[in-house]
Amino acid sequence: MGAPLLELRSLGKVFSVDFALEDISLCLESGEVNVLVGQNGSGKSALMKLICGQYVSDSGSLLLGGEEVGFPSIHDSRKAGIAYQQQDPQLYDNLSVAENVFFHHFTRRRFLPSTINPWRLKKECAELFERLGIAIDPAALIAKLGYTQRLLVMAAQTFVAPGARVVIFDEPTAGMTDPEREILFNMVGEIRGRGIGVFYISHKLDEIPMVGDRVTVIHKGRIAGSLGVAEADRDTLIRLMTGRTCSERYPRLKVERGPSILSVDHLQSGSVLKDVSFNLRRGEILGITGLMGSGRTRLANCLFGQIRPGGGSIRIEGAHATFSHPSEALARGVALIPEDREQNAVFNFQDIVQNMSLASLLRFKGDAGLDTFYMHELTDEYIRILGIIPGHPNDLMRSYSGGNQQKVVVARWLMSLCRIFIMDEPTRGVDAAARIDIYNAMNDLITKGASIILISSDVDEILGMCDRVLVLAGGRIACDLPRGEATKAQIIDFASA
Amino acid sequence: MFAVERINIIRSYLREHGKLDVHSISKLLNVSEVTVRRDLEKLEAEGSLTRLHGGAILAEPETLPESREATEEERREEEDLEEIARVAFLMVRDNDVIMLTNGSIALRLARKLAGRSGVTVLTNDIMAALEVSSQNANKAVLLGGSPDAESKAVFGSLSEANVQKFFVNRIFVQVDGISEQLQLTVSSQEKAALIREALACSEEKIILCEAARFSRNAFYRLGPLSLASKVITNTSVQESYKTRIFAMDLQLFTSINAFEGGA
Repeated sequence: MGAPLLELRSLGKVFSVDFALEDISLCLESGEVNVLVGQNGSGKSALMKLICGQYVSDSGSLLLGGEEVGFPSIHDSRKAGIAYQQQDPQLYDNLSVAENVFFHHFTRRRFLPSTINPWRLKKECAELFERLGIAIDPAALIAKLGYTQRLLVMAAQTFVAPGARVVIFDEPTAGMTDPEREILFNMVGEIRGRGIGVFYISHKLDEIPMVGDRVTVIHKGRIAGSLGVAEADRDTLIRLMTGRTCSERYPRLKVERGPSILSVDHLQSGSVLKDVSFNLRRGEILGITGLMGSGRTRLANCLFGQIRPGGGSIRIEGAHATFSHPSEALARGVALIPEDREQNAVFNFQDIVQNMSLASLLRFKGDAGLDTFYMHELTDEYIRILGIIPGHPNDLMRSYSGGNQQKVVVARWLMSLCRIFIMDEPTRGVDAAARIDIYNAMNDLITKGASIILISSDVDEILGMCDRVLVLAGGRIACDLPRGEATKAQIIDFASA
Repeated sequence: MFAVERINIIRSYLREHGKLDVHSISKLLNVSEVTVRRDLEKLEAEGSLTRLHGGAILAEPETLPESREATEEERREEEDLEEIARVAFLMVRDNDVIMLTNGSIALRLARKLAGRSGVTVLTNDIMAALEVSSQNANKAVLLGGSPDAESKAVFGSLSEANVQKFFVNRIFVQVDGISEQLQLTVSSQEKAALIREALACSEEKIILCEAARFSRNAFYRLGPLSLASKVITNTSVQESYKTRIFAMDLQLFTSINAFEGGA
C-alpha cells in the first residue's frame, strides 16, 4: 500500500483565546468516506477550511498523495483536486442551474468562455439530473429556486467537480428531506466508487451508517476518536462528543421565579421554525440550544420583530406581542443581543457613546435635541460598572477587543431598560474575564425581575446558567428540561436526532 | 435608576424648591427612602445641601464642604463591602442554616437577613449575632470562646471545639487577603484556626473578599482558594483573577450592579 490519499500530520492553528485546533492527525484513503461529527463550534468546518487553504495552519503538515502541500487559497486547493462544498449554498443567483453546476469547469483552460455551448451545457446537465433523479429544470435561474433545491444544485456541482481527488461535504443534508437525502447519498456512493476520498461533516448521527466508512469525532479542536462505522454506536459517539462536563464554573444566582411573562404558542416561520411553544417566567434564564440551522436565530429574530412569523402567537403578559419591527419590540421591553456582533451589533466607526446609547435615545430627549451631557455621563457610568477597557466615551468601537465590544453591546440593551433580554451567543469570541462580567450582569438582571432567553451552542454554559433548557431540532422543541435533570449527553442526543 | 441620574434630579429639585422631604422624593423617584437618604448624604458631603430631620434644604452658598468628608477611598470601600453583602444575601434562602465568620461583611449581611425568614445563623461575630437575634423571623447562635475587643468576635480553642458540633448549608468566610498565587490569608492565627474547623462543617463554602484585597497578603495562611466553591468579590477585580478563577472551575460572583430597571 502506498501513501494515503490525504494525510494530516499534527495540524494546528490558534484562532482565538478560546478556540484552537490542536494536533490533528488524520488519514483519508481513496474511496473512503470519513464522517466528521462534533458539537457546534468544535472545529469541524475550521479543520476543513484549513485543509483547503481558506486558513493557513500554524503547525503541522498536510500531505496529498504522499507529497507535502500547502495551499495559499481555496483556488489552489481546488486546482490540486480538493473540492469543498461549503455549508451554506454559495451559488450565483443570476445564472442558470446548469451554469452553476458546471461553473468550476469554466475556470479550467479547456473550457474557455468563448467555447461555452449553452445548448450542450443544458443537455449535459439534464442528463446528469436525470441519472441522479434530480427534478430541477437546468435552465431555471438559481434565484427562482428554494433552499433545498439549491442544496441539491450545490451537491451536483461538487459531484461533477473537475479533477477531484478529495471531496468535502460540509453538512450537505442540513435542511434536506428524505428523498433529497437519498439522492445525495447516491452521489456520495458514486464519488466513493471513483476512488475519491470524502470528508462528510454531519450532525445527523443516524446517517453515518448510510454513507460512512469511518467516523471521526472532533471535540474542542481535537480529535476525540476515530473509529470504523461498525463500532460507532450512538452512545459511544455521544460520549466522545460530550467530553468532560464543566458547568461548575458558571456563577449563577438562584432567584425565586415569578409568573410567566412571555408565552409563545405554535410559532412557525418559513421552513425553519415548524412548531415552537414555550413560556418564559419572570426572573428566569431560559436556555435554548440546538445545532446550526435548528432555528435558534430565526426564533430570536421572530421574537424581536425582525422577521414576521408565519403563524402562531407571541404574548407578553397576556397581550398580543407579534411585532413587525424591532422598534415595537423595544417599546414593549424586548431586547435582542444578536449573534455575530461584527455583522449585527457593532458600529466600528462610531464612538462608545453612540454605540451604547442608540437603543435608548428616548431617555436622552432634551428640550433641544439630545442631552449629550447626560449621554456622556450615563455612558461613563456603564463603562465603570461593566469595567470596559480602555473605556473613554469617545473611543472608536473598532479599537476595542471582542470582549469589550460585547460589553458595550450588553450595556446598550441594559440602558434601554428592557424586561426581556434575548441573548444570542453572547459569549462567543469573548475572553474569560469578560464572560464573568456578562454572567454576573445576567444575575443582576434576574435579581431585578428581568427575564433572559440565553441562546448558546455551548452546552456547559447552558447547563451552568439556565433554569430550564430547551433543545431545538429541525424547527421544533425536541425537549424541555429543568436544569437539575438535564445532562450534557442528553442535550447532545436530542439535538443531533 | 442610577445614582448619577437620581442625584441630578434631586439637585435640580432642590434648586427649584429650596427644600425637600425624603418621603416625597422617594415617591417621586420610586426608590426607597434609604436610597434617598444615602444620596442626600452624598450631596451633603459635597456641600450642596444640609440634611434636616426627614429632609434637606439647599446649602447656604457660604457653607463650604466640611471636614467630615469621608474620603473617596473610604466611600468606595464602604460601597464594595455593601455590594458583596448584597450578593451574599441573594445566596441565602429561607430556612437556611448558615455560618458567618467575623469581619466587616458579616454585620452587613446580618442586617440584610431581615429580608428572609427561618434562617439560622451560626457565627462568632458578636455584632452579627445581636443583629440577627433582633430579627423575629430568624435565629442566631453565637459560638462560645474568648471575646476579642477589637474585632468584636469570639475565638480560641473553645470556639473551635464548639463549631464542630454543627453542620450548616453554607458558610460565608471573609478573608483578609488573596495572594497572587490564589492563597487565602487572614490576619490572626485564631481566626485561621476557627475558619479551618468551620469549613469542615459546611456543605457549600463561599469566600468573600473585596477587590482591593486581591494581591495582598495577611499574615496567616488559610489554604488555597480551591477550598471554596464560590467566590464573591467586586467587579473591579483584576481581569487576570477573573480568568484564572474561571479556569479553576470555581464560580466567581461579582457585585455588578448594572441594571437600572427593576426594583
